[in-house]
Formats: sequence, structure tokens, C-alpha cells
Amino acid sequence: MTQSETFYYDNKIVRDFGVATALWCVVAFTVGLIAALQLVWPAANLSLEYTTFGRLRPLHTNAAIFAFVGNGIFMGVYYSLQRLLKTRMYSDLLSKIHFWGWQLIIVAAALTLPLGITSSKEYAELEWPIDIAIALVWVVFGINMFGTILKRRENHLYVAIWFYIATWITVTILHIFNNLEIPVSAFKSIPVFAGVQDALVQWWYGHNAVAFFLTTPYLGLMYYFLPKAANRPVYSYKLSIIHFWALIFIYIWAGPHHLLYTSLPGWAQALGTVFSLMLIAPSWGGMLNGLLTLRGAWDKVRQDPVLKFMVVAITAYGMATLEGPLLSIKSVNAISHYTDWTIAHVHVGTLGWNGMLTFGILYWLWPRLYGNKLFSTKLANLHFWLGTLGIIFYTVPIYWAGWTQSMMWKQFGADGLLVYSNFLETVTQILPMYMLRVLGGTIYITGAFVMVYNLIKTARSGKLIANVEASAPARAVAGSHKGEYWHKWIERKPITMLIASAVVVAIGGLVEIFPMMLIDNNVPKIASVKPYTPLELEGRDIYIKEGCVGCHSQMVRPFRSETERYGEYSKSGEFIYDRPFLWGSKRTGPDLHRVGGKYPNSWHYNHMKDPETMSPGSIMPPYPWLLKKEINSDYTAAKIKVLQTLNTPYPNGYADRAVADLKLQAQGIADDLRKNGVEVEGLENKEIVALIAYLQRLGTDIKPKATVERIQ
Amino acid sequence: MYKYILQSAGNINWMAIFALLTFLFIFLMGVVLAFAKDKEQIKHFASLPLEDGQKEPIQ
Ligand code: HEC
Repeated sequence: MTQSETFYYDNKIVRDFGVATALWCVVAFTVGLIAALQLVWPAANLSLEYTTFGRLRPLHTNAAIFAFVGNGIFMGVYYSLQRLLKTRMYSDLLSKIHFWGWQLIIVAAALTLPLGITSSKEYAELEWPIDIAIALVWVVFGINMFGTILKRRENHLYVAIWFYIATWITVTILHIFNNLEIPVSAFKSIPVFAGVQDALVQWWYGHNAVAFFLTTPYLGLMYYFLPKAANRPVYSYKLSIIHFWALIFIYIWAGPHHLLYTSLPGWAQALGTVFSLMLIAPSWGGMLNGLLTLRGAWDKVRQDPVLKFMVVAITAYGMATLEGPLLSIKSVNAISHYTDWTIAHVHVGTLGWNGMLTFGILYWLWPRLYGNKLFSTKLANLHFWLGTLGIIFYTVPIYWAGWTQSMMWKQFGADGLLVYSNFLETVTQILPMYMLRVLGGTIYITGAFVMVYNLIKTARSGKLIANVEASAPARAVAGSHKGEYWHKWIERKPITMLIASAVVVAIGGLVEIFPMMLIDNNVPKIASVKPYTPLELEGRDIYIKEGCVGCHSQMVRPFRSETERYGEYSKSGEFIYDRPFLWGSKRTGPDLHRVGGKYPNSWHYNHMKDPETMSPGSIMPPYPWLLKKEINSDYTAAKIKVLQTLNTPYPNGYADRAVADLKLQAQGIADDLRKNGVEVEGLENKEIVALIAYLQRLGTDIKPKATVERIQ
Repeated sequence: MYKYILQSAGNINWMAIFALLTFLFIFLMGVVLAFAKDKEQIKHFASLPLEDGQKEPIQ
């Protein structure tokens, strides 16, 4: 019998991440609530550019995903990893660097996103310096995790750890690929991919961020904390092994379901749909494995708020993973895409699955960290009901809003015309639903505050047990003659695991990247599509900065309901100079790809100043600051140069002439505005002029007469 | 040759078939891995979360 060794688990780092997740959840929800409020009442931005919807939305999503759920992951991993491996974390210093590094990144995000510093790619909005910081901190986490695994006392890696390993390696790959960009300045970069390719990489990333940040690590947490809380082993360990391999393999393939009806090759779209449908199997396998763990213990569930939270979380996981595949069926996607249906879907996932599981774990963890009882089980139960009701009051109206939108967008009258040809009608129709959503959000967030109070009270009445004594026999002794070989082999096992997960994930990744390369050769070049002028380029960057993409798509799909409303459907060849692509994912406002030439310049001027003057009842925020701020042309030349290195065909030496060209075009627009009664001094230097130049250019390249020629 | 493969890839489904075959392989691997372990081992693995060698202050 090997001798028992005594060691200490690090609880402080768990507590720190726990505090962070509780704190950031309140922040993320509050920002979300303000954004939701603005959709019924645009004035809720307090007329500040920093708090308008377009800038708050990425702050909300990033805070929810990376701050709230991110810290939740680390809290759970640091607690469970030590105990499953019967050892302290590899390095306390790395733990600390990880913790503070991650919080600094979050603070950097919270500062830069409201300032409009964004790459505009959903869930990857942060600019390049922060991307690098994320990579570094992520590597620190990786070293700490693998170091811990290597010095473990337990031979077998419990299935939760497999999920952690797969998460780590996949997020690494995704983060690198989706952030390949060339810096123009400290706060601005240009992605190396353009148009359709950029869209593919982005949604390969976006989809897998959901898969490998919001799902796999949380499944790991479920496999650890559910048995812990229920005090019984998982229903079927064998099932969990199959769940793991099937899930990580299939997930990565499903990305193309975000790009149905685009120029992605048909078979790749079909594959995306097939794999999305196949995902139901492992997902539900996992859900049932979770729920069946509680078989015969439902009396316990009724009494213990921790288990209640977990049951709702796992159920929400099951619902979201059934709905997701359904949304990837082409005919369903045709009606769901761009509507609030998607918003409802993701909130079932985040509020239900991530939120409720995190809350459950926090309630379970806190008394153990502080060596006492939860301050109030009653309050925890109250939170449970507020959380559940909040989810219902949030999602039901938003599902309703989404279905209403899609029906109104597509409804034709007997005369063969769109019944709701004025897009705004389809917006005002759903405002009552948006109000109910605010109510749902308020209920949910109230629950979060109740929890924070409860946790603080619990902590106050106890004392943090920073280091917990534990003992376990050492792992199969190294150096003993016979065990040597096996010891070495086992030590390599986590590395084998890492490589196996990487290979499994890479297969799917490669097959998705492959058609992307093909697309480069197969995108029909359209001779009349030309690069943006310097002024349009600056206007485009203002569009990016203001987050217009959070409400407007730029992708007219080939449906009669869309071509009737917006005009000619979008061709992939039209986007070859779009870095980044700006297709968007949601239409709170109408599609803008064909807006060029639709209105006079002065219409846009007045509309941007106060949308309600041109579109009474609009919920688009006013942008009065665009009328005051001056165009920054300091980096125009640098942008042109970077674009040239990426093969955008500007003439040689054009960078030097770019600013002069910019001024010339601006003067023309300013003159036109003056003619139409806009009297402002220095109008030609204002940001609004650049934005108008961009909007008027949109989708016009193929308007005269599209000459599509296939190059190779 | 390379070019030819790229060109014909636009409408192939050999990749789709490859995808499904690899899936089958991975799935079977998972099943084999799961069932190759003996009962006692599995029982030990499954109970890992419950044995952390720590003296729980409160339960
Ligand atoms: C909160 C969501 C929201 C944001 C953010 C937003 N818009 Fe809008 N936008 C709308 C809505 C709703 C409409 C339709 C009603 C109207 O005309 O105002 C609209 C209409 C428009 C139109 C008229 C389109 C047409 O075909 O009639 C343009 C142009 C436009 N927006 C440009 C922008 C630009 C540029 C930005 C960023 C600076 C922006 N929008 C940000 C919601 C938004």
C-alpha cells in the first residue's frame, strides 16, 4: 500500500473567480437591460455616444460570455480539477496571473467597446492588443492546467477534465484563426480575410465559441458538480465517454448553418445542416445522463435549491440543443434568420443553461469555501423562482416577436405586393413584446442581486478556508523498476488526450476551411465592383465603430420577399473588398445592402441626426455627435497601404493621394447638403459626410448593369 | 492536378462522405473506449467526484 500524502487545495483562487463571476453577471445583465430598454425607448442611452445600443450590445455579449461565463468556467475548473486529480494547482503564481490577467482584459473590454474600438466580429469584437493579451492569459491557464494534470495523484482523468482539455485546445485554435488581422494603429486592425471568406471564418468561430466556451466547459462542470450536489455518481459513465467524443467531433462541423442561403458551396451547407441535426443525439444523451443522475432523488431536488437550479439548467440545455439543430434546417432558417427568434434561442442557452448552472454551483460552493451554512435557503429559493420566471418572461415575448417579424416581413397581399412594405411597421408592432422582455430581464437580474446579497451574507458569517487539507496516496511510484514504462505512458496520457481532441476538432475545421479556399477561386468576380474610396472607407469605419451592424444586416437573401423589399439579392462577388464583412445577424432595422441611392444625402443627414424626423416612431438611436465630430484621416493612408498588401487593387502610390481624394469627395457631398438647406460650418470635415458617402455607395456597384464574369 | 481537384471540389460530396465516415470512426472509438473498461474501473471513475480526500467541514 502506498503511503498517504497530505496536501492542500487552493480555495482562494476558486473564491476569487466566484466573486468575479457573481460581480460580472450583475454587470452583464445590467448592460443587457439598458440595451433592451433602448429598443423601446432610445433615449435610454442618455444621448451619450458611449452608451448607444450599437456600442452596448457587444459589451453585453462579451460581458455575458467572457466575463460572467468565463469566470464561471474558471471557478468550476479550479475547484474540480484539484479535487479530481487530488493535488493542488500546479502554480499559485500562474493561478494569480490568470485571475488578474483575465479581469484586466475584461476591464479593457469594458473601456474600449463603449469607445467604439471594435473589430465588429460578433463575440470577437476586441481589438488586436487585447486579442494578444487574451492569448497570453489563455496560455497561462493552459500551462497551469496541464501542469496540474501532470503532477496528479489520481491516474484516471475524470470525464469532466476531458471536456476542459477539449475546451482549451479548441478555443486556442478558434481565437487565433478568427483574429488574423493586420494592425493599422494601436486600436484598429484590418482582417486578412474578406467578404465571404471572412464570414465563413467568423461563423466557424462564432458557432464554436458557443460550442466550446458556453457548452463543453459547462458540461464538464455539470459532470462534476451535479454528482457532488446530489452526492451520487453520474448515471452512466460510459454514456459520458460517448457523449464527449461524439459532441466535440460533431460540433465543429455545424458552423455553416449560420450561412445558409449564402454563396457557400451547397454540399458544405448541407453538411452543416446534417451535422447540426446529428448534434441532437449527443446533446440529449448528455442531458439525459444529467437528469437520470437524479433518478430516485427527486425528493431531494424539491428541497435543495442547488439541485433545482441544476435541473432547470440541464433542461434548458436540452431545449436549446433541440432548437439549435431545428434552426439549422434550411426551411426553418429561412424564416428564423435575422429575426429575434435567434435572440430568444441564445437566451434560453445563456440565462437557462449557463446562468442557472452557475448560480447552482455558487450556492453549493460558497458554504464550503466559508465553512458554514448558506445564509438563507429561502432567499436561494426565491432566486430560483425569479430566475425561472425571468427566463420565461424574457424568452416567450421574444419568441413571439421573432415569429411576428418573420411573418410580417414575408406577407404578400392579393395584389402581389408586400403587405408591410414599410419596415418600420414591423418594428412598432413588436414593441409591446420588447417591453415585456425588459420586464423579464428585470426579474432575472433581481434574482441575481438576491444571490449576491445571500453570498455576501454567507461569506460574512464564516471565514474563508483558503487552504483545505486533504490526503491521498501518491500515484504509482515512479522509478520502481516494473512500473516505469507504464508510469511514463500514463503521464503522456493527458498529452495524448490533448492531441486526440485537437485532431478530432481539426478534421472538422479543415473541412470547413477547405471550401473557404475554394471560394477564393470560385467567387464570381464582378468587373464593376471596385474598392471603396478613402472617404467611403472612413465612413465604413464609422459604421463599424457605431455598431450599426448590431441592428442592420447587409445581405439580401434570394427570396422574393427580400428582393421585393430591398432590391437585387446580394452576390458574393460584391463583398471581395469588405474587410471585415458586415453581413450582420439580426434585423432590428432594415437590410442596408441596397440602400445606396435610395434616398438623397439630406435624408440621411436628417435621419442620422434624429431618425424620428424622417421615420416617426423609429427606435433607431439619434447620432447627433456624427454631425459635430471631425473625420479622422490620420490613418487613411495607412489603411490603404494595408489593404494594398492584401491585394486590394488601389493604384501604386495611391496612399499618398488618398487624403486629397477624401477631401474632394467630402466637399461634393457637403455642397449637395448645403444646396438642400443644411447650413453647418465646416460640414465637409464632419463624420456624417463620410458615413453618407459609405451608405450611398452600398450595393450600387452592380446597379448599372452587372457584368458577371467568372475568373477561372 | 491540384487545380483540377480544387475545381471538381465545388460539387463533390466525397468530402461529405469522408466527414460521415470519420464521424462513424470517432463514434465507434468512443463506444469501444467506453466498453473496453471493466465494471470495477468504471465504478471507480464514476465515483471520482465524490472522493476528493478532503475533510469536508460541513455536509
Ligand atoms: C437600435 C437599432 C439600430 C441601430 C443601432 C441603428 N439603426 Fe438604422 N434603423 C433602425 C430602424 C428600426 C430603422 C427603420 C426605421 C427608420 O427608418 O428609422 C432604421 C433605418 C435606417 C436607415 C434607413 C433604411 C431604409 O432603407 O429606409 C438607414 C440608412 C440606417 N438605419 C442607418 C443606420 C446607421 C448608419 C447606423 C449606425 C450609425 C444605424 N442605422 C444604427 C435601427 C437601428
